[in-house]
Order: sequence, then C-alpha cells, then structure tokens
Amino acid sequence: MSYELLIFAPLALSLLVYIPTRNLGGTKYVALALFVYMFSKTIELYKQLPEHGYMLLGKFLEVKAFDFVLTLQVDRLSVIMLLLTCVLLILVTLSSWSLTKKPAAYFSLLIFFSGAIFGVFMSTNFIWFFIFWELTLIPMLFLVGIWGAEGRIYAAIKFFLYTHVASMLILLAFFLIYKQSGTFDMTLVKEAMLTTPALIWWLMFIGFAVKMPLFPFHTWLPDAHVQAPSPVSALLAGVLLKMGAYAMMRMVILLLPIQAEKFAWIFVVLGLLTLLYAGFMALYETHVKKMVAYSSISHMGLIAIAMGAMSYASLSAALFEMIGHALIISPLFLIAGFLHQKMNTWEMTDMGGVMQKAPYLSAIFVLAGLGALGLPGTMGFIGEITILISTIESFGSWMVVILLGSLISASYLIWTFRRVIYGEMSEGVKNANFSMNRVEFFSLLVFAFLIILFGIYPQTLFDEINQAFGVYFTGGTL
Amino acid sequence: MNVGLLLILPFTGAIATFLAGKLNQKYAFYLAELIGFTLFGLVLSIFLSYERPINVAIEWFSFGNATLPFGVYIDHLSLVMLLIATGLGALDIHFSHDYMKEDPDKPRYYAKILFFIGGMILLVSAKELLGLFVGWEFMGLASYLLISFWHQTKDPADAGVAAFLYTKFGDVFLFAAIGILYYYAHTLDLQYINLLATWHQIPDNVSFVVAIFIFIAAIGKSGQFPLFPWLMRAMEGPTTVSALIHGATMVNSGIYIVARMFDFYVAAEALVVVAAVASLSAFIGATSALAQNEIKKVLAYSTMSHLSLAFIGLGVGSLSAGMTHLTNHAVFKALLFLGAGAVIMAARHNKDLFRLGGAWKKLTLVGLFMGVGALSLSGIPPFSGFYSKDAIIAGAILNPKTYGLISTLTIIAGVLSVAYVFRIWLLIFAGKPRDIELHERIKTPSKFWISLPLGIMALITFVLGFYQKELSEYVTGKELPEAHVEYLLPLLLSAIILVGFIVYKFYKSRPDARDKLAAQPLMKTFHKILFNGYFVEHMITWFVKNVIINSVSKTLNWIDVRVIDGAVNGMLNLSQKIFALFNATHTSKVSNQAGVMILGLLAVLVVIFIGSLV
Amino acid sequence: MSAFTILFAFGLLSFAMRSSLLLKLLSLLVLVAAGYLTLNSYALPLNGFSLTSGVALFEVVLFIVLGAAILNEDENINVTQTIFIGTASVALLESNTLLNFIISFEALSVISFVLVANVKNATQASGAVKMFIAGSIATAFIVLGAAFYLFENHPLNSGLQNVETFGTLGLWLMLMGLFYKLTIVPMHSWAADSYAEIKASHAALLSGAAKTVAALAVFKTFSPFLLQNLEFNAPILVALAIVTMTLGNFLALFQKKVAKILAYSSIAHAGYMLLAFVAVKSAYASTSLLYIAIAYVFMQSALFTLIGNLKENASELSLEDLKGLGEKDKITALIFTVQLFSLAGVPLLAGFISKAVLVYAVVDADLPIVALVTLLNSALSVAYYAWIVKHVYFDEASLDYELKSLRFAPLMAQFILLGGTIYFGIFAFGVFKVAF
Repeated sequence: MSYELLIFAPLALSLLVYIPTRNLGGTKYVALALFVYMFSKTIELYKQLPEHGYMLLGKFLEVKAFDFVLTLQVDRLSVIMLLLTCVLLILVTLSSWSLTKKPAAYFSLLIFFSGAIFGVFMSTNFIWFFIFWELTLIPMLFLVGIWGAEGRIYAAIKFFLYTHVASMLILLAFFLIYKQSGTFDMTLVKEAMLTTPALIWWLMFIGFAVKMPLFPFHTWLPDAHVQAPSPVSALLAGVLLKMGAYAMMRMVILLLPIQAEKFAWIFVVLGLLTLLYAGFMALYETHVKKMVAYSSISHMGLIAIAMGAMSYASLSAALFEMIGHALIISPLFLIAGFLHQKMNTWEMTDMGGVMQKAPYLSAIFVLAGLGALGLPGTMGFIGEITILISTIESFGSWMVVILLGSLISASYLIWTFRRVIYGEMSEGVKNANFSMNRVEFFSLLVFAFLIILFGIYPQTLFDEINQAFGVYFTGGTL
Repeated sequence: MNVGLLLILPFTGAIATFLAGKLNQKYAFYLAELIGFTLFGLVLSIFLSYERPINVAIEWFSFGNATLPFGVYIDHLSLVMLLIATGLGALDIHFSHDYMKEDPDKPRYYAKILFFIGGMILLVSAKELLGLFVGWEFMGLASYLLISFWHQTKDPADAGVAAFLYTKFGDVFLFAAIGILYYYAHTLDLQYINLLATWHQIPDNVSFVVAIFIFIAAIGKSGQFPLFPWLMRAMEGPTTVSALIHGATMVNSGIYIVARMFDFYVAAEALVVVAAVASLSAFIGATSALAQNEIKKVLAYSTMSHLSLAFIGLGVGSLSAGMTHLTNHAVFKALLFLGAGAVIMAARHNKDLFRLGGAWKKLTLVGLFMGVGALSLSGIPPFSGFYSKDAIIAGAILNPKTYGLISTLTIIAGVLSVAYVFRIWLLIFAGKPRDIELHERIKTPSKFWISLPLGIMALITFVLGFYQKELSEYVTGKELPEAHVEYLLPLLLSAIILVGFIVYKFYKSRPDARDKLAAQPLMKTFHKILFNGYFVEHMITWFVKNVIINSVSKTLNWIDVRVIDGAVNGMLNLSQKIFALFNATHTSKVSNQAGVMILGLLAVLVVIFIGSLV
Repeated sequence: MSAFTILFAFGLLSFAMRSSLLLKLLSLLVLVAAGYLTLNSYALPLNGFSLTSGVALFEVVLFIVLGAAILNEDENINVTQTIFIGTASVALLESNTLLNFIISFEALSVISFVLVANVKNATQASGAVKMFIAGSIATAFIVLGAAFYLFENHPLNSGLQNVETFGTLGLWLMLMGLFYKLTIVPMHSWAADSYAEIKASHAALLSGAAKTVAALAVFKTFSPFLLQNLEFNAPILVALAIVTMTLGNFLALFQKKVAKILAYSSIAHAGYMLLAFVAVKSAYASTSLLYIAIAYVFMQSALFTLIGNLKENASELSLEDLKGLGEKDKITALIFTVQLFSLAGVPLLAGFISKAVLVYAVVDADLPIVALVTLLNSALSVAYYAWIVKHVYFDEASLDYELKSLRFAPLMAQFILLGGTIYFGIFAFGVFKVAF
C-alpha cells in the first residue's frame, strides 16, 4: 500500500460517512477501525525507517515550476509524532463512545482530522505541509462549534481566526524561504539557503508560537479548550498543540539553527513567562476545565524553554515532555468535561467529594494531576527533570527557576483535588449520577497506564527519541 | 536478590493488597502484615549477612547525551534506617488491625501504608540523589494520601493539602539541588558527591547553596521552622499513620539526607545554618507542645522539637549524636504515638487531654509502656533518649560556633521535653477521671493486637539505652562523644527533676493553682502564641492568600482578560468601527456612486501627474 | 472554425429556438465543441487575435462555468445571453491589439447590460441602472484615454507601444475605465449594490466570468505598459490594490445579507487580482493571475447561483435565513461551505493555492510587506466566511426555515463548479504548464 493513502483515504472516507442522510451510529466503529489500521501502518512504517535521516515514501502531484510537490518523507521525529497521534486518536474515539449528538458527523470530522494531521507529519514540502496544517483547523472549527459547550461559537471562531492569522505569517515565511533557496523541500532548504533573514525566523516563530501556544499568544486556547467537547479538548491539547511544538522544533530550531541560537533567549523568556503566567492564572481559576487549560499552557512553556536550550539532551527532553503532556493533560480534560456533563457546572466551588461517589474516576484524575505536577513515577517527572538538567547545562544554574512553575502547578492541582475530589459532598455531587460508559472508562485507564509505564520505563521512549535527534547532533552541536 | 525484592515488594504488595482487599476486607490486613514482616525479615537478613556496602549501579535512562542513573547503595546508615522503617512499619501494620477495624476502606489504607514503606526503602537505599528524590516524593505522596485518608471530612482533606504543599515547597529546592549538582559535579552519586565536596572539586559557593537548598527540603520534610505547620495538621490522619510517618520514619528523612551528605555539609560549611535553624525549631516545638490540648498535637510538636535536636546534633558536627538520637527518637516516638492511638481508640476517638484522666486502671499496660517512652523522651538515664540528648547538648556547648544562643535554646528545648511529656502522661493516666461518662466507656484494648507492639517498642527503647555506644559505632564508625562539659549532667538532671516537679504540681496535685495562673492576661497571651505555634501558619497562609492569590494572580488575571485577551477582542471592536466608517461612505445613491468614480479618477490622475513631474 | 465562430453562430441561432430543453442541450454541446476547438488552438480567424495556451486553458474553464450557468438557467433568453458573453469573452481574451481589445471589451459590457436588463422587479432594475451608469462613465474614460494615446501618435491596431507623458496619462485613464469592470477602488462603488441587487445568476456571470475575463485581458494587454515604467506604476497599483481589498473585506465583515457579503468579497478579490499587476515583473505574475481567475470564476459563480437557488429573491437572503441549512440540506450546505472556504483560502481548494501563488508572486517581486498585508487581509476575510458557516452549521435551525432545496440540474451545475474548485485545489500542474 502506498502511504499517501494514509492521508487521502481518511479525507475521502470522512465525506463518505458524512453524506448518508440517516445518522449512522456505526460511524464510531469505522473511525476506530481506521485509526487502529493507521496505527498498525505507522508501526509498520516505523520498522522500515532507516537508521538516520528521512525515508522517502513518494512524490505526488508534481509542479516543477513552483516546486509544489507532495513529497512524503518521514524520519524518526515525525513517526514518533504519528504514533502519538494514532494513540490519541484511538483513545479519543473511545472517549467519545457514548456521544449522542450527530455521531456520524462527529466521527467523520475526526476521520478528516486524522488524514490532515498525517499529512502534517508526513509531508516535507512546505506548501503541502501548510495545506495540511490549515486543513486540521477545519474539523476543529466544526467540532468546537457544533459539539461545544455554551460559549462554543465565540470560542470556535476565535480559535479559527487567531490560528489562521498565525498561519499567514508562516506562509509568508515559507515564501521568503523559497525566494532565498528556490526549494520548498524542508530537507533541502538548510543547505540551499544563501542567507537567512531574521524576518523568516521571526515570522515562523510567532506563527508556531500561537499554536503552541506561548505567552502572549495564548488567549485562544482557554476558550477553545474549555468550550470544546472534552475528547476534542484532549485532541487539541494532545495533537494540535504538539503539532505546533513539532513544527517549532523542526522548522524554527533544526532548520534555522543559527538564527535560533541567536534568539534562544526569546524561547527562554517567553517560555518562562508562559510557564509562570499560566501557572498563576490556573492558581486563580475556579473553572475546572480552564484550570486544566492553563496548566496545559504552562507545560508548553516548559517545552519552549527546553527547545530554546537547543542541545541534544534538551530537545530529547522537550519531545518526551510533549508526549508526556499529551498523555497527562488528556485525561484531565476528559474527566473535567465528564464532571461538567454530570453536574452541569464548571465551578470547583460547586463540586467536592467526588471521590465518595466515583472513586476510580477520581483516582485517575488524581494520578493525571500528579503527573502534571511532576511526581516521580509519572511521565511528568521525567519530562521535568530532563528539562531541568538539560537547560541548566545550556544556560547555567539559574534555570532552576523553572521549578517555581512546578511549585505553582503543585499548588493549583492539589488545591483542585481538595475542591473537586476530596472533602464533603456538595449538593451537585450528591444529586449527580457518575456512572460512566465502560469504553470511555477504559480509555482513561489506558491513559493512566501509559503515564505510569513511561514514568517508570522512560528508556523505551528515549531510545527512539534519542535516535530521532541523534542525526542532528553527530558533531556534538547543531 | 534480596535487595531487588526489598525494593519491589512494597509496591507490588500494595497493589496486591488493594486487590485482595477488594475481594475480602480481611485479606487486606493479612496480606499487608505478611508483606510488612517479610520486608522486615529481608532487612534483617541483609543486616545479618552484611559484609560491605551493597553497591549496585543501574542506568535508569539516557536522554540525548546525558544519562540518569538509579542505583542502590546500602551501608550501615541505610540499614539502620531500613530497620526502623520496616520494623516499625510491620508493628504499625499489626497495630492497625484493631485501630482500623471499623473502617470500610481497609484495602486502600493498607495499600497506602505499603506504598509508603516502599518509598522509605527507596529513599534510604538510593545510591544517587535522584533515587533518593524519587523515594522522597513517594513518601510525600503517601503522607498526603494517608493524612487525607478520611477525605470525606473537611479537616483531613485540608490537612492533606497543607502537608503536600509545605513539603513540596521544600522538595522543589531538593529538585533544584539535583539540577545544580548534576551540572557542577556531573554525577548524582551521593558518595561521590561527598568526596568531590571534600576535595573541593565543586565550587565552594555552589556547595553552600546546594547544601542550603537540600536543607530547605529537609526543613519541609522534617517539620522544622518555618515549614512545620503541616506536621501539626497531619495529626488529622489515622494515629497509626501519625505514628509511622509523622513520628518515626518519614520525618526522619530530612535528617537522613543531611547525615547521608554529612561530608558535603562539612565541606560546604553549612552545618552551622542547620544548627541555628534547628535550635530555633527545637525551642518553638518544645514551648508550643506545652500549650496543646490534644494528645497528638503535643506529640507532633515534640516530634518537631526532637527532630530539631537530631539536626542540632548533626549541626554541631556530631554525626553520631544526630543519628543515635534519630534512632532513639524513632522508637520511643512510635511507641508514644501508638500508645496515644491506643488511648484514643479506647476513649472512643476523643483526643482532648482535658476530657481524659485517671485511665491508669483501665489502661495499665498502655500507661506503663507510654511511661517508658516518656522517660526516654525526657532524657532520664538509663533510657536511650538520655544518651543522645546529652551528647547533643554537650556538642552544642562545646562547638564554638554554636555556643551561646544555639546551645541555650537547645538546653531549654531538651529540658522542656520533660514538661510536656509528663503533662500528657499525667493528664491521661493520673488523677481522677474528668469526664466520667467517657471514662465509663473506656475499654481495655486487646493484648495481642495493641499491647504487644507497644511492649516490643518499650522493650527496644529500654534495651537501646544499653547499646548506645554500639549503635553509634555501627552507624558512623565513631563513638558518641562523651559529655566533657563539667557539671552538665548534674545540672541537666536537676533541671529535669525541677521541671518534672512543677508539672506534677500543676497537673496532678494542684490543678487549681494552674488554672489561676493561666487566667492571668499575660499568661493568656503566651498561651495563645504557643497554642497557635507562634502564628507561623497564620502568617504563611496570609501571605499565600493575600499576596500570591489575591494580589499577584488576581492582577495577572485582570491583565489577561483586559489587556492580552482584550487586545484580541479589541480587534473586533476596531473592525466594527472601520466597517461603520466605510459603510457610511457607501450609500446606494447612484449620484454618489458616479461622483465617487469621477472624484477617485481625478485623485488618481493628480497623483500620476505629480508623480510624472517628480 | 473557432470557438468564437460557433458560439457566435449558435448565439444568433438560439433566438429561433423555442424548446428550453433543446436549447440547453445544444448550448452545452456547442460549449463542448468550443472547448475542443480551443484546446486544438483554433484562434479567432481575424487579424489581431491569437491564442496562447494560458488563454486556451482559461477559455476551457470559462466554457465549463458557462455550461454550469446554463444548466442552472431557466429562461431561454438568459441562455442566449450567456452564450454571447462567452463569445465576447473569447474575443476579448484572444485580442492582440488595443483596438480589438477595446471593441471586445465594450461588446462584453454591452452584453452584460443586456443581460441584466432582463429585470423582474424594482430591486433588480435598480441594480441594472447603477451598473449601466457606472459603465457609461467608464466607457467615457476608456475612449478619452484612447484619444490621449492616439494623440501621442501610437497606432491602435497593434499591441501597446512605449509611451511618453501623454501616452502614460492616456493609458492610465483607460486603465481606470477598465477597472470599472474589475471593481477596483475608486471605480467599485456601483459593484456592491449591483451584484447584490441584480438576479443572482446574472451576478454570477458578471462577478465571476466577466470580471475574470476582463482582468486577464487587461493584464495581457497592459503588462508591457506596466513593465515599461514599473517604479512609477507599481506604487499606485499597490495603493489601489491594498485599498480595494481592505475596503472590500471590511465592508463585507458586518453585512447582514449574504449577497452583499459576496459582492464585497468580490471587490476584495479584485484587489487580490490587481496584485498580479503589481508583481508584473515576477515570472509568477501571469500564472498567479490565471490561477486566481480560474479559481475565482468557479467559486464566485457557484456561490451566486447557489444563493439564487436557495431563495427566489436572492438579494433578500439574510444570514438568519441560513440557520438550519446544515441540518436540513446536508449536500447544499456542504457545497456552500466548501465554496466559501475556497474563497477564504482554505487549502486543498482552488482558492488557497491560487492565492498562495499570487502572494508568492508578490514576494518574488520584492514586496514582502505587501504580501503580508494581503495575507492579513485574507485572514480578515476568513472572519465573514466563518460567520456564514457559523449560521449554516452552529446555530439552531430557525422555526421559519424556508430555503428551497436544489433541483437536479442546478445541483449538477453546483457539482461541476465544485469539481473545478477541488480539482484546481489539488492538481496545480495544469495551470503551471501553460504560458500566458
């Protein structure tokens, strides 16, 4: 099978399952089967990867005059992202199992999203990368706008416009690169570019910083994540944000290392600001899902700092934290959304004592929260310590200030546990029925399992991650 | 082999216990007890077959070009801690059989206890600072979960939050220390770091900062000033938990880490800071303990004070004094806590000292064993507490750096321990029952489940008194320093007797005099200060609430909504204004439209004309 | 034989036909034949006309769109006019000399007036009148400009020659007159009202086909002039382009009527097209204009015909009316959304790639700031497209939902146009292969 189908088959399939006028409940099985299949194909792809560098999967739709070629190439970095995406897609599908509102359309959008996101990670042509990058917005717009909570329309359109404006900057950067180098192929650009104007770097940095998001470009996120249906929040945090971080890593750092070296302090300053600022926001927040959203932003700040250090160790750490963050934040979103669904309130002050009625659910919430605050034994800790050590290596001891972020996150998470999980039962909790669909609970269990598994055996992940970055650091530094 | 099992069994055991307990509540206890004693057996077998330190280097993971290890290193120091943790742990589990009898959540309880023991084992057998930190955090989590064990009610839930956050504040510094040490020493191996520091391979100022950072973590974990309030709140948890975690084992880990890095502290010249903070804590703890009404709170403050004494022992440069005191204290404090637990259980979960009294007849065995603990705690020979406390006070006086304020505070704290411990003993066991109804309901606890573990601990407390020299040599290779200060021993003893006499007067024979004194306004103020632990918690809470949450966070939140997101939403208003502006100029009148065309054309032509001239 | 010939002949013949079905079938056949002839490079067999591969490609696209428009039509007379528009467009596109250009252009204008003169109500009449008045002013400019040009002793029956001051003035006058058809500021003021008020299918032809044909022809004819004095011409064009797109986008932003939004977005797109004139020195300029013309003719025709199908009186179709379309009529809603997204520049659709090439042409012409402004404008435009989509999908259906569903032929027409939008969104090589 040729791999371009991994992109275009879902795009076509999504239309196919959308069109029938009867609302088919079986769409979720189609989606699940597709994602599992894509997962297996990705693993197959992974096994074929060469030791170093890219593997060409094919070139399609060639337009020589404009170098507008759908070049599908993958290296370890992109396949790791693909694997993460597949896992999250499967789990998100499972988490949406009991959805009743227009399921066919919902799952068809998920399928569409899977095709687009595969395109993002597989294409090395800037234009096609950009095409898929933008294409991921469309299903998200609808998923937030149709299935979201009360403020969904504002959130959906804000998200769409905000990130679209950012994309425009990215596109301009790509064009400037093409003008310099005469190629849109990101594997060739680095050698082909004669000079790299700082403008290119800035455009890409800001463009991707919106998606990550970094302070002060973050305000779309709390709205979008809060209003989105919870599985979609998980997808946003787990895949879409990671897409931004991936692009930041691949294009802003690995592609323009000289510029990135010069502006490394931007990463550090914005990363730190994001980390602490979002932390304080979460501390003040009483809206449970917003708290999770700010916590998510805060962690992205940590990742940005690690990227700014630009060393072999720090990039590996950043990638690990990206994966960890995806797996940790998703269950938090899912459970926060579940609580809202059952109690019809977002306010922590109306909650309390959930542990008494839903002990296992609460336990997973606590576990994921502990992961977010970096407790040893979870992925969060591994991410935090590797980032700490590698950034100190690059910037000196003062980087211990990032631990302030960990202190703040501990504060708001523990305080959230107190307000939501522990304590006396509130009226809302007493009246609510917390029975959860078994399939959805299973997906939460998988999240919990993965958080602990990779928290104890990080080496399994790091083997791959190290190999992904090793190729860039054969000479020691970039 | 044994070591591997020792490290893994508690965690797998915790899961197994939980699952078994879900089948049948009873299984949870038996499995936990089995695992508890197995662990103790494993430690004993290591102890008995010990030849040289067990040293296993394991690579945990490597990221980029850096590698983080996770090795095992067990020497005498670790073994003592292991014996304390598993021995007291096993006895504690045994004791829990009756104490937790009524509780429906036994599986969860035993699983958490085993998880805690696992964390402690991990901590003391870690070769590197990293492994130590993992154990450190595991214990912190276990402590949090166990304090909030009765999460349904407000106070335990709040207490858990306090415990986690106060200790987390310290932990962050330990975490930072790991990062800094890895940068400067390129290793996290504790033995190696000690050596590097001794050879001054690490810059002096760095070592000093790292030492202070680690000490801050120790302050948090061991409940020293100013991070002690959580320890008092922690008494909301089950008493068995207080005994094991907040009396005997976890709180010792702060001292353990300083002892483990003793050479590093010596090289960093940070010991005097340790002694200074600890002496202040000792004083605060000892004085506050005098004014508490709850048995457990008294014991908590006494724990704080005694841990401070152990810190002072280290701080004055005597590893042996600190470690022997730690060991002695662990045993007699576990004894006192469990004894208090027995009393509380017998008194239908009443913790108020002033409703008890005259329980001697009904709780003879408990009273006896607690008496042994009390004697040891107050430092009366030949009980174990005497030797170590004496050595610490002597050390504080002899060390020129600590002679003066530090040594004075130490002496006061040492002497006052007599006062509070006899105060509670007298209030519980002596005199006439103050609450007759309650007294009627007190029933004698089970001999096997309750008195047996107390007896064993009392026995150890007693026996330990005769093996102080050996203990000290075992842990540190050095003897306890003899008290070379002249007149110290007689002076201390007479002070102890004097204080004991006053307490006896006030709490046994003349309570009326006490009440009269307590009614004085000045005494009331003192009492208020002491009762509230010098208002340290109030100050910290005030700071967090008013400064961090309501000032910093609130301001940032305002900025986020009004400025940053305001700018984004402002775009909407702006475009609305621009739209209105444009729309006003676009009417649907044909004459206007034609006019615009012609005027526009003229304008363009003018531009072109001017342009062509230029 | 050429496309022009058979279209013209059939146009005359069609007056004699009564049967609507026969007329439609025949005209489709004729369009196919015309396309075939064009692909085989049969140019208009007169002096001063020639056919390049780029023009041929666009003519084929135009025939497809006209075919869709005819499928969508219900009146015989409109079919005839559509054929004539095709005829005039072919002439305009193939004209090589200034004289031929002016004549063909005026022919196209006249047919357009005739087309919109077929009014059914007062609103449509108002739109037609506005267009006519503006058109006559524009014609005056063109003629005046031609006179200036002649004044400098340049012949009309050849391509543009290098000009001096008077010639420059004359050609600029002509350009301004021509910009009327392109709806460039300041010649735009009629467009929003007219497009929104005249019959939607007419608006589709005018704002879709006629505008793009004019843009291509103007570019083809005037690019030598623009190149000759680029430093002087470019800033004015940049200013006009930016003002046009910004004005169009902002005015579209808070409109309540869908037709009004589309009309203003049409003006904004004229601004984008003008950028190709700005970037004339770039090798990508002609390709980008061709591409945006192709993309635009598909999207805009589709949208205007679609709203004409949804409501009898399309100029009254408000955003509120669209509520519930996503649920009640899945297919139409999907087509509508896809075309809107294409206009917004969402990838995998023709609107995106055409705009991308255009912006690159601007970048290539060393105008990165203009490119940035264009991109931001495009992002701004997404706001009102998304706002329409919001009404279609996100809002609950209103109780008095009264949109009509599409009959078979119009639906087929929509599918044809959708096919074009998607095809040119994915397969770009066809456009890059041709020379203009």
